[in-house]
Amino acid sequence: MLSVVAASKNSSIMFKNYLKIAWRNLLKNKGYTLINVGGLALGMAVTLIIGLWIQDELSYNSYFKNKEKIAQIFQSQTFNGETGTGPAIPRPLEKALRDGYSDNFEHLIMCSWTNDHYLKYGEKSISRPGNYMQRVGPELFNLEIIKGERDGLREINSIMLSESTANALFGSEDPIGKTIKVSNEHDMNVSAVYKDIPFNNSFNDTEFIIPWEKYLANNEWIRNAEDQWGNNSFQMFVQIVDNTTMAGVTNKIKDVKKTLNENSAEFNPQIFLFPMEDWHLRGSFENGKQVGGRIKYVWLFGIIGAFVLLLACINFMNLSTARSEKRAKEVGIRKSIGSQKGQLVYQFLSESFLVVLFAFVLALVMVLLSLNGFNELSRKEISFPWANGKFWLVSLGFILFTSLLAGSYPALYLSSFRPVDVLKGSFKAGKYAGLPRKILVVLQFTVSVAFIIGTVIVMQQINYAKNRPVGYDKEGLIQIPTFSQDFEGKYDLMRSEFIGSGAVVEMSTSSSPTTQIWSNRSGFTWEGKPEGFQEDLAWTEVSPEYAKSLNLKIVEGRDFSREYATDSLGVLINETAKKYLGMPDPVGKLLKDDDEEDPGPPLKIIGVVQDMITQSPYEPVKQGIYVYDRFNNGSYYNLRLNPDQSAGQNLAVVERVFKEHFPDIPFEYEFVDSQYGEKFASEERIGTLSGVFTALAILISCLGLFGLTSFVAEQRKKEIGVRKVLGASIFNVWNMLSKDFLKLVIISCFIAVPIAYFIMNGWLQEYPYRVVLKWWIFALAMLGALGVTLLTVSFQAIKAAKANPVKSLRTE
Amino acid sequence: MLLQLKNIFKWVNSGGQRIFLLKDINLEVEEGEFISVMGPSGSGKSTLLNVIGMLDTFDEGEYNFLDESVHTLKEKHRSNLYKEYIGFVFQSYHLLDDLTVQENLEMPLLYKKFKGSERKAMVADMLDRFNIVGKKDLFPAQLSGGQQQLVGVARALIANPKLILADEPTGNLNSQQSEEIMQLFKKLNKEEGVTIIQVTHSEKNAAYGSRIINLLDGRKV
Repeated sequence: MLSVVAASKNSSIMFKNYLKIAWRNLLKNKGYTLINVGGLALGMAVTLIIGLWIQDELSYNSYFKNKEKIAQIFQSQTFNGETGTGPAIPRPLEKALRDGYSDNFEHLIMCSWTNDHYLKYGEKSISRPGNYMQRVGPELFNLEIIKGERDGLREINSIMLSESTANALFGSEDPIGKTIKVSNEHDMNVSAVYKDIPFNNSFNDTEFIIPWEKYLANNEWIRNAEDQWGNNSFQMFVQIVDNTTMAGVTNKIKDVKKTLNENSAEFNPQIFLFPMEDWHLRGSFENGKQVGGRIKYVWLFGIIGAFVLLLACINFMNLSTARSEKRAKEVGIRKSIGSQKGQLVYQFLSESFLVVLFAFVLALVMVLLSLNGFNELSRKEISFPWANGKFWLVSLGFILFTSLLAGSYPALYLSSFRPVDVLKGSFKAGKYAGLPRKILVVLQFTVSVAFIIGTVIVMQQINYAKNRPVGYDKEGLIQIPTFSQDFEGKYDLMRSEFIGSGAVVEMSTSSSPTTQIWSNRSGFTWEGKPEGFQEDLAWTEVSPEYAKSLNLKIVEGRDFSREYATDSLGVLINETAKKYLGMPDPVGKLLKDDDEEDPGPPLKIIGVVQDMITQSPYEPVKQGIYVYDRFNNGSYYNLRLNPDQSAGQNLAVVERVFKEHFPDIPFEYEFVDSQYGEKFASEERIGTLSGVFTALAILISCLGLFGLTSFVAEQRKKEIGVRKVLGASIFNVWNMLSKDFLKLVIISCFIAVPIAYFIMNGWLQEYPYRVVLKWWIFALAMLGALGVTLLTVSFQAIKAAKANPVKSLRTE
Repeated sequence: MLLQLKNIFKWVNSGGQRIFLLKDINLEVEEGEFISVMGPSGSGKSTLLNVIGMLDTFDEGEYNFLDESVHTLKEKHRSNLYKEYIGFVFQSYHLLDDLTVQENLEMPLLYKKFKGSERKAMVADMLDRFNIVGKKDLFPAQLSGGQQQLVGVARALIANPKLILADEPTGNLNSQQSEEIMQLFKKLNKEEGVTIIQVTHSEKNAAYGSRIINLLDGRKV
């Protein structure tokens, strides 16, 4: 027992001793220390920040206590052999599940889509997104009630507000029991205020909840949908009971629609549970199969983080072993006075531990300084987890891991010197001693070059898609939402008012925004329709001025005209639809409703418009039809601003006119081009982030190279001196020193190019509309890497070449 | 008997030829001897010393140290053996540059796992004996060559070895400093009975010893 204590005390003294020596070593070689600690700190900072990002991604939806028991009901259907999967389900499914399968569900709720509504209290009017839900919704999602009652959806005319919305409407007043106007129409009593659902969660934008019954009471079409199996317009969420699994429940309910509704059987509808744990990271479906999703970016950044750390550790390894001749003597002496190899390994590992510890502290500072910028770039709200014990535990593990990764090879290498060799002063690293170092440099630059190529290709793809013609003129076009009854019947008036004001040159309404498709239809017949063809058409209801206000070109036939009364049953189709419907000469053809009991009037094609991108800029344009809006279904005003005036002027006028007619409705607008720009946000974020990480990776690699060159120049000082005395020029010396490193980088390029090509080509396959990989991208990346290398190496090489040879030769 | 070498051979292969560094060396060393190894450059003096010090291996023969047969021992065991009984003194001192005089002296004790209080006492004693108390916090670079070698000898002695191996201990010193170091060796040998084997070029230094071994081309002559 006593000897154990003595031994452990002794080893702690040893450890202290090692740290002391390490510390003095670090102080003595400031330049080397700076490169080592700085490079490692950069690498660790990148890894830390990526770690925080990954943690944030993985903790998505952690607000919901029953996360692993909650699911959304999803549906897959097959049209023309293609299976589409989505959250939209028909209303009768509710009854079917409640009647036949209720023992599987703890809770089950119907829910609307999250939509903007006007909320008004006194003079204050705001627009906020919210949902209609059945009564147990707040229970299912564990809403934290701050004021009022938990069962806040009991009364049909009640509304639950998020804390921030309550504050915006009521300020310091107590909102409970107060009446607010929703959509300028319905009086609702505030029954509860719940804590805002945090940023990193689904329903984060649900600012109010209204009882589902109110949704039914307000909308006839929804009441009518009670037994319409074909009307997939609703959402349903469930919490399964404790003794079941998602897969188990899915297995029971998957064919429920098919069995109860024979008409739908031809589309093979599959009903399944989509677990909340998968919503964020594994939300992509292809042909009815779950195929991952955002998780690929988690992997991507995880790999980038690991590589950047590896690059930084390679610097440490290379600089340590390069300096080995300096440490060799110490190793020899220590061995000759009784040190064993294990003790030396331990000593060198303690040293790397110390360096890594410093680097970690520095990395923490870097992370703290850059976290805000990073949050902005990645659109996150990550805060530094100071108080999180687990974080510090993981950090300790991270420090130890990095120490081992960076320190093991140098420790084993250095401690293996034989004292006889090194003490006689005859020690020179053998011919191949530098080989591992070279391999590591090649590895570093392979990774860096591959990063460069990857980033360039991502940027190229984004630019390529951005430059794709959208089919209409999105500049100077704004959209105003018109989500309340107030707008009904006012379109003609507003159009003449806006145009009369001089700020607007043309205006239209549409049932969905220009940059999205909100509705799809099937159920038509037409001349020459193939037998069994299951059509699927994007459906937008528009006012006759739609094409004019968007500057959408008519390529065949004519535009809507108010002069022909028959145009109210006319449609425009896009170019893709023309091909899709198989009509070489579509103008004048009819699209008939195939409902046998109660057919709607046939629609007559009056013209073909140019394709316009409404969905992903990376996908082909979908076949779509534009229908004359007979029923005031417009959701947006599309205003073409007067190009002869500034946007600011135009907007001021538009707002004034708007307020004159709708004093109770907040004036909201959005520029279509910025809305369109949102489509690139995700790719652009990835592009920017990988750009930043690439730059850091290159910086770290160059830092290491810089250290290595300075070391080699130092080592060959005498040789350089002799060569210069014999007549070598500065260029000769520079050439001699740079050549070796350039060779390594060229090898790296040739390894990196095929790897990068393979990976990026695979990435591009996800985008039907994609850039073609050109050889010059690779050439450019190689040239860039070579240029940077040359610059880094030359600095030291020229310095060494210019040194006075007399000085270096005199030292012997 | 302290140590015994029997028919020791050591060679390297160069260009298909076997070059002998040590050739059939037989040597017995009793405790309390002071031996000088002499011979021209390349005659194998240092190699012999390294073999005796167990820093280097040999290819053939037997080596017994205090009745342990060194040639059959494992690396770890061997290192324990020389840690315990042997101290080295080098021509170029080989102090650890990053450690102070005091810390240099303490280093072997750490490897031998002495307790803190013991270490302190032993280091203080050594500083005292060598009259270098005032220099204990200086780094090697701040000392003269003679002072550095003094520290080197003190470090070799600190753990009370039975045998000191000195490879041209005065090779880098001027005549006065050499004299001092040799006097010190003589005193250690006479008064404390430490066995010493030194390699030297100087007849004068060799005269301090009790026995001289001459080497030529790896062979005892």
